Amino acid sequence: MNSKILTDGTEVLTEEQAEELWELGNSGAQNAASSLSSLIGVPVSISIQKIIMVKLENLQQYMDDSVASMVVFQVRGQIAGNGSLVLHVPKKSILKLSSIMLAAPDEDREINEMDMSMLHEIGNIMTSSYLDACANLLSIMLIPSPPSMVIDMPHAVLQSVIAGQEIDEELDHVLFFKTDMHCAEYDLEAGLLLLPSKSLLHELLERFRFIKAKNN
Amino acid sequence: MNETISVNDQREVIIIGIGEWSTGNSVMTSIGLGSCIGLVIHDDTKKIGGLAHVMLPKSSGKPNERAGKYADTAVEILIKELTQKGSKISNMKAKLAGGASMFQNFSGNLNIGERNAEALRAILKDLSIPIIREDLGGTIGRTVTYYPKENGRYVIRQADGTTREI
Repeated sequence: MNSKILTDGTEVLTEEQAEELWELGNSGAQNAASSLSSLIGVPVSISIQKIIMVKLENLQQYMDDSVASMVVFQVRGQIAGNGSLVLHVPKKSILKLSSIMLAAPDEDREINEMDMSMLHEIGNIMTSSYLDACANLLSIMLIPSPPSMVIDMPHAVLQSVIAGQEIDEELDHVLFFKTDMHCAEYDLEAGLLLLPSKSLLHELLERFRFIKAKNN
Repeated sequence: MNETISVNDQREVIIIGIGEWSTGNSVMTSIGLGSCIGLVIHDDTKKIGGLAHVMLPKSSGKPNERAGKYADTAVEILIKELTQKGSKISNMKAKLAGGASMFQNFSGNLNIGERNAEALRAILKDLSIPIIREDLGGTIGRTVTYYPKENGRYVIRQADGTTREI
């Protein structure tokens, strides 16, 4: 259990809730990894999965300022709370993906419009499959909003997403479900981050419990 | 206040996370500001100052709130600590960096950076603390480093590696 959670002492979830979030996030991540895998035609595996529960000031230990693409989707559908799903691809892996998918030359260069449009597409496909899997477990409909893409410092991007949630909810901690994916054949890395606001988190967990009770 | 200043003070870098702040003469840095603002209040006569990593424009006034997180309480705590360290308000000058809108097509939260900047400008104006330099807005992340002992030099680095000083 503890190996699934990274925390600085902040407790937002009970052990039972963490298990439930794990089940939800894991099914989403598995589905997203397999959709990326079929997109690029080679196996993609999940290398790390963690529920990260930390104080705001410690976010910098989990997200740095080295340039990467962050494709941000808001979680929409039959839910009331706010939440985001973020695809994080480091620059090196963006170039790699472009060479696989667009036959772009495999060299160090600036990110161009073709790369960005590819990332939008990959983001759409991966987040849709992530949310599909969660929605199935919850028997509701969940869809990603149109993406908003930023190629910049991951900390700056997440901080802005969190500020948007915090302005309504005034929390001093952040919770996210982080999945790192890896493709050995091409030396590719990508991460998916599910950032539910407090209200969305409770909504999802409540719904999950309700469905599980109904099925038992 | 019982302060001892060590010789290698200059090399010590204090990392200021979201909602945190620090005052003194050590080098201070905040990593990856998006809509957040790195608020510097500097006193060049004493060569000291403070940096706060401000996330939101206004505190709700609840107890246990982290002072550095909100524009109003961050200004208040920096001034309070600097005054305790012997600075006069009349010698304090401010520098602001950050307050970006990282997303162009999201509704709702996109102007938090701007609101943070507006809040800080209004509060500092009320206290007659001049904002001598600023590097605000845009759609870029910023990592900032403040050097109190070097005339309050405030260095801004972007994701692409370019740096500038204000």
